Amino acid sequence: MPTHDPATYPTAVTKPPDFDQFWADVLAQAAKVPLNATVTPVPMRSTATVEVFEVHYDSLDNVRIAGWYCLPRHRPHPLPAIVYYPGYISEPTFPKAPAAKGYATFGAAPRGKLRSNSQVNPGYPGLLAHNIIDRNSYAYKGFYVDAWRVIDFLQTRPEVDSSRIGIRGGSQGGALTLLTAAMCPTIAVAAAGAPYLAGVVDAIELTNTYPYQEINDYLRIHPQSRAAIAECWSYYDCHNFADRIRCPIIVNIGLQDNVCPPETGYEVFRRIASPDKQLYPYDGHAHDAGSFYHEAIVDAFFAKHLQP
Amino acid sequence: MSLTITNRPADFADYWAATLAKLAALPVAPELTELPIRSTDFGTVYALQMTSLDSYRIFAYYCVPHGAGPFPVLYTLPNYGSVVHVPAYEERQQSIVVALCHRGQRLSDQPFAAAYPGLLTTQIATTQDYIYRGIVADCCRVVDFLQTRAEVDQDKIALVGSDLALITAALRPQVDALYYTPGFFYGAEAVAQRSAAYPVEELNDYARTYPEQAAALWQTVAYYEPTHFAEQVRCDTLLVTGADPSQTQPLVDALGGNTTFYQSAHSGYRDGVHLATWFSQRYGLTAPALPAQWQ
Repeated sequence: MPTHDPATYPTAVTKPPDFDQFWADVLAQAAKVPLNATVTPVPMRSTATVEVFEVHYDSLDNVRIAGWYCLPRHRPHPLPAIVYYPGYISEPTFPKAPAAKGYATFGAAPRGKLRSNSQVNPGYPGLLAHNIIDRNSYAYKGFYVDAWRVIDFLQTRPEVDSSRIGIRGGSQGGALTLLTAAMCPTIAVAAAGAPYLAGVVDAIELTNTYPYQEINDYLRIHPQSRAAIAECWSYYDCHNFADRIRCPIIVNIGLQDNVCPPETGYEVFRRIASPDKQLYPYDGHAHDAGSFYHEAIVDAFFAKHLQP
Repeated sequence: MSLTITNRPADFADYWAATLAKLAALPVAPELTELPIRSTDFGTVYALQMTSLDSYRIFAYYCVPHGAGPFPVLYTLPNYGSVVHVPAYEERQQSIVVALCHRGQRLSDQPFAAAYPGLLTTQIATTQDYIYRGIVADCCRVVDFLQTRAEVDQDKIALVGSDLALITAALRPQVDALYYTPGFFYGAEAVAQRSAAYPVEELNDYARTYPEQAAALWQTVAYYEPTHFAEQVRCDTLLVTGADPSQTQPLVDALGGNTTFYQSAHSGYRDGVHLATWFSQRYGLTAPALPAQWQ
């Protein structure tokens, strides 16, 4: 067990002076790519109460991205929506059950995930270290944009009330939740579990567990790249996005999390600018971050803010 | 409420005997290639490729610690999903660790790439062609490989996982121990009637879409019911249970070997420590292989 207090662990993450400009340029580049969304019914997965669709849209560098989209069949009024962001090795969420509760739901599949990997496929392991020494070609650049474009898609949908969009996920899904809450100011509510991609340069010192271990593996082969990795990651770290988050948000972490060490969860939570935020630290839990108990809290939190 | 288990098909034993015979007719043809980026100062990580049923080439991570063997083996069977993690850094330090990517999963996805959802019902209406027949063979093939290796302590091969682990333990009695958490094949037909959670919901989706094939679907699933394999499991078994013991009673009644129990704490930390301690104590290792956050 670490001898330090994870709640006060100092971070080595720094914010580059051109951070905002870097992402403004990326978004400007992405804006040149029309969404070109298609929504195709999936009768096999649909039921008497929920319709399921497969969505495709274009994203940065004209990469075609997939997603699962579920709607309650009975929808007399515009619906609140919930986006589910996937973990690093997880399959995209197939959010049929929550749609039955009165939400439009979307299971995001950023580039490299199955059905979004015909043009970009760094693999698992692979994604985290793919072009990690260059912020301009790093694998997560397009991956982040793919996640944000889900919100663009939902805002085009007449069946969705675009003022009631919630976002959630665990691990990498928790990271994408924080990043999307930061970059899409219309988000109404967010719930991030065991957030990954936060305090990355700290995490690789604190854990040998995959996926972060991919970076340690890389550094064993390329020890000269440590500074370049830190520099690249300063543009991608959730720590440096968190001060843009303004929506109501809850974050749960596990105090024995060996995948995303709790030190990094405490720090990213501290940096969240929203006045309506709450941290749920679960002692006795690892990367599950108490999800067995926390799920009901997330459900109630979304029901309160999204009013399905 | 107890779980209803469907009847064992009359030709269950013949079906699996024929499967194993087809597998045995194919040489393992192993190819080991070191992965320098994953190897460390304490051990070597290999890409292991082998031939399985229908001449399908499958991939596994094969991790061998430095030093004088033979070593105990921690063989983690694959879960339901396209990605299999590189074995844990800590586990690789004291034992041989194997992680299989069965056919359809990444690194074993040529020519067949599994869909999620979709894998569970691939070719399910034809029992002989059901995708999981090959997947079970893939799992057994790893044991075949291990039995050829001088660095393996043949008396200390432990399987960890869900239904594929139990089925492999039943079909490959050479293994010494099983750490088993029941999965989606266990009582599948009964569970599907009261659950809309994936992957079991895939069965409902299929039956709803192809009602004329529903009977064939449930018949195929019966060949993969863990309870029907349990009496063949002769190794020591650690059965992970939930809060309601009646749910696992059919398995407990059927298991053929010495069985002990652990009730899941729904905590990756507590459950992870239990598994590492079980393995460590069983094979007399100096200490459980735990990440720093768990020590």
